[in-house]
Amino acid sequence: MSATGTCEYQPKDYKSDLKPIWCPGCGDFSVVQGIYRALAAIGRAPHEIAFVSGIGCSSRIPGYTTAYGFNSVHGRALPIAQGIKLANPDLLVLAAGGDGDGFSIGGGHIAHLIRRNMDITYIVMDNQIYGLTKGQLSPTSQKGRVTCTSRFGSLENPVNPLLYVLAYGAGFVAQASPTDLVGMAATIEEAIRYPGFAFVNIQSPCVTYGEEAQQIKGLKAISESLAGLGHNPADRLAAMDLAQHYGEKLHLGVFYRNPEPPPTYGDLVKERQALLSKDALPKERILDLFIKK
Amino acid sequence: MAMRGIDFAKLSLMDALDLAILVEDEAQERYEEFAAQMDLHRTPDAAKFFRYMVENEAKHGRELSARRVQRFQDAPMAVSRTMIYDIEAPDYDAARAFMSPRKAMEAALASEVKAHAFFEAALPSLKDAEVHALFAELRDEEILHQTLVKAELAKLPPDSGLSDEDFVDEPAPQ
Repeated sequence: MSATGTCEYQPKDYKSDLKPIWCPGCGDFSVVQGIYRALAAIGRAPHEIAFVSGIGCSSRIPGYTTAYGFNSVHGRALPIAQGIKLANPDLLVLAAGGDGDGFSIGGGHIAHLIRRNMDITYIVMDNQIYGLTKGQLSPTSQKGRVTCTSRFGSLENPVNPLLYVLAYGAGFVAQASPTDLVGMAATIEEAIRYPGFAFVNIQSPCVTYGEEAQQIKGLKAISESLAGLGHNPADRLAAMDLAQHYGEKLHLGVFYRNPEPPPTYGDLVKERQALLSKDALPKERILDLFIKK
Repeated sequence: MAMRGIDFAKLSLMDALDLAILVEDEAQERYEEFAAQMDLHRTPDAAKFFRYMVENEAKHGRELSARRVQRFQDAPMAVSRTMIYDIEAPDYDAARAFMSPRKAMEAALASEVKAHAFFEAALPSLKDAEVHALFAELRDEEILHQTLVKAELAKLPPDSGLSDEDFVDEPAPQ
């Protein structure tokens, strides 16, 4: 408690007693540190935060925080996060998962959270492989990639997560990497503060099944700060232009932040509730709605 | 390694001592994490060495804390862990399942080199004479720490020339 009577949280306040079981050297160790730091900067109490994930290595992340967590169903982190946010709009809701969880089995959900502008921050730990199941092609694996499910090289083009969410109209789109933890924490913090759907793609290396070029050293070699390039995050078309370099360059920072965020779905629901509440029936007469007069 | 929101030119002795304590605290915590990772991945020799580093970092932290209390008692800390990252703590990327004790020690040595470089680089920006003296002392201590790790490395039998990767099975389809 500070002298002004407000609570001040430290990153350790968001760290649970569970020990991560990721492979030593995994990029996700840095990601969880970035999340602790971002949450400390936001300053919400752990019990005011709900953290939902899908299935995969990275989806273990809610368990390593002191927030309420739900390691849910493969690809279904977003619908569950949406339900939580609608049921309790005061909660800070985070969703997380891997590239397979988010852009393959769960790929259909992203568009709908974006068009509704749900006030949720979605963090994808993108390692271009299904690591937990021992190295199969994922939706972001590069064309030609040799894995146990593509012995002669992948014939498919990868999904570009940045263009994907920008095209659907996400209000906040950013990319980060464990090559710059301070920048990653700041980016996650900014995403959480954005009033609406915010997406952060984190290039998080898989040390066991990832290729050499995708490890920290390789990522550092292709990293470029968007702020350093003079990119204006209010310019959506410039963001889309830069996002096309996904896979060749690692642009770090905010691609797009809507300078005039539209109302969130939660705001619209509140508005509608206020409008209809005048004519609303008392609870004991609610079934009258279904009785023909 | 990185720092956020610290103006070295205005750094007071109390803040400098607190930062030094936080640097040791971060390194201790990271070595604890590494030891736990090695236990989990059946790499006991590396775990043992990382625990040795935990004790070392804790010892340095205690020494600095005692100096801080002696000089500034329980005055509230004005700096926090969010301001520092990876100053003396080994990079997360330095750990590997089945890493040899040699690799573990090399990771620790690289961290001590990194910490030395940090204090060395900060020195020209420091204006306060006492803070300058403290950072110079901490920089020199990093050389001592390097010597300690090198001594541990020297106790190891000669390297077999095999890589840790030689003992890891190829990924197999399920």
